[in-house]
Amino acid sequence: MTETSDPGIFDKVWNRRGFRTEASAALAISIRVWKVELSYPLSVLWFIIMPFIWFLPMLIAGSAVAGGPDSAYLQSLTGTRDWVSYMAIGSAITGLTTSLLWGTGFSFRREQNSGTLETLMSTPISRNTLVWGQMLHNLQHGGLGVILQLGAAVVLFGVDLNLWGILPALAIVALAVIGLQGLVFAIICIVLLAKQGWMIVELITSTLLLVAPTAYPLAVLPPILQYVSRASPLTWSVEGFRGFLTDGLAYAGVVQAVLSLIVLDVIFVAMGALMFRYTERYVRSKGALEQF
Amino acid sequence: MEVTETKDEHIIKTSGYAEVFRPRMMDWNATKIFASKNLRIAIRYPTNWIIWGFLPILWFAPYVLMMTAIAGPGTSEHFAELSGFNDFITFSVIGWFCYQFVDKSVWSIGNNFRWEQFSGTLEPLFVIPVPRISILVGAAVSDTVQCTLSAVVLLFASCFVFSVTYAVTAIAPIILILTMMVIALYGFSFMLAGLILVFKDPSVLTELVSNLTYVLSPVTYPIQALPASARIAAYIVPSTIAMVTVRELAITGVFEPLALLQAVGALGLIILGFWSLGILAFRYAEKWTKITGSLGEF
Repeated sequence: MTETSDPGIFDKVWNRRGFRTEASAALAISIRVWKVELSYPLSVLWFIIMPFIWFLPMLIAGSAVAGGPDSAYLQSLTGTRDWVSYMAIGSAITGLTTSLLWGTGFSFRREQNSGTLETLMSTPISRNTLVWGQMLHNLQHGGLGVILQLGAAVVLFGVDLNLWGILPALAIVALAVIGLQGLVFAIICIVLLAKQGWMIVELITSTLLLVAPTAYPLAVLPPILQYVSRASPLTWSVEGFRGFLTDGLAYAGVVQAVLSLIVLDVIFVAMGALMFRYTERYVRSKGALEQF
Repeated sequence: MEVTETKDEHIIKTSGYAEVFRPRMMDWNATKIFASKNLRIAIRYPTNWIIWGFLPILWFAPYVLMMTAIAGPGTSEHFAELSGFNDFITFSVIGWFCYQFVDKSVWSIGNNFRWEQFSGTLEPLFVIPVPRISILVGAAVSDTVQCTLSAVVLLFASCFVFSVTYAVTAIAPIILILTMMVIALYGFSFMLAGLILVFKDPSVLTELVSNLTYVLSPVTYPIQALPASARIAAYIVPSTIAMVTVRELAITGVFEPLALLQAVGALGLIILGFWSLGILAFRYAEKWTKITGSLGEF
């Protein structure tokens, strides 16, 4: 029989409630994922060089058509001639998005593969906290990637960042994370129902990144994709992030970007959380949680 | 008495194959069986074939859109100077078509034994009395069939989406060059299969190799856009010469026998080099995993 020094510990843990408890559980999940990741040195090395390697082909392709650091055509579309800065700042957020959507979206699948999903689901914390904990880790993971990519862009390619815009840009990232979390909940539903479902997730992620103005303005997209783009929180996140880091506090599109993000955040999170709630209940009622 | 018969004796009695078995360099029958086994599994998932024909458009379109945003629709003076082609969209679409084979060689053929390991069938496969290279070639053939179908879907879909056209006047040399490229890529993937057998976790290694080959390959930009030192490395990627030749033939439609002969000769050397290196690397990796007993380890 298992003995503990404090026989009331199970009751205490079981009865713990409130934001602090859930936040501490989310933090514990985040730290645990870091410990697992850091035990693979090659993965750490890849994480450091990945943002740079992803950015490189775009930079070479851009240089092949531009022939220099300026683009008159881009200026006519966006008002800026410096295509390297435009692209580097915009695409920096791509790594964070991928990390959030894939890392958090497939976290339940990874737990399932490790045989720990049922155990996690039976711990006395909110099911949402399991997702928020994974998100917290991927936010740190992806966030470090953004810093590395922007750092490399500044040092290696002479990208100019407006330092006054760093804090507001971080606020935009916070709003972006909330909206993307709604999508993450939807992805987890796909994973829970379809088990593998990576093709659907790849389709969603790739479409989202295609219609986002990371390396090009919305004006070059076909009209129908421009409408789709405006309904994506990633679009306004990229616009706001780049706007603040380029123009600082003088960024003209701040009201539109922030308002759009707030509205989309509310819609995406509400819909995602509802979907997750019902899917998780459905999967448990079918006893399909551990099915592969 | 029958019950005192040892296991080895029983195998020899019941299997005539074991009596006549002699080690060989290559077992084409095993290759055929393995290729048809993989194809039979692939046919069970028909949506995969279609999805892989369309999904790469979503990865490739951002490059076209970015180049359009920088240079304006379709053409760029600097690009024409570097590459000799006016239209960068026509240039890129055919590059992506060829790159599908490179991608497949990295993700599918190179990782083949890893997928077998995940299915729990790697160790049984390694105790059958056929050369491991026969199994790998079988996997490569089935992957080539699947990749060719998906790449053709991708090419037609991209031609429709981006409104580009290609000349089909030099189709025979294009097929010849593509076939040679695929054979050269087999050697490249044998090498990768060996590396993955040793290092196990394929995600990081495969991502690294896949991204590096993409950066070095003239998919969306010409070789001349790379720094001088990277250009040398680019020619080591088995698909580079093929990509340049196929693009020239498909866009211009002009067949120049001397240029084709040069490309065929260079590809022949690449095939020889990569197959020798690939088989050597794979055999060494196989021996190493057997000695260290790490074959079944994840």
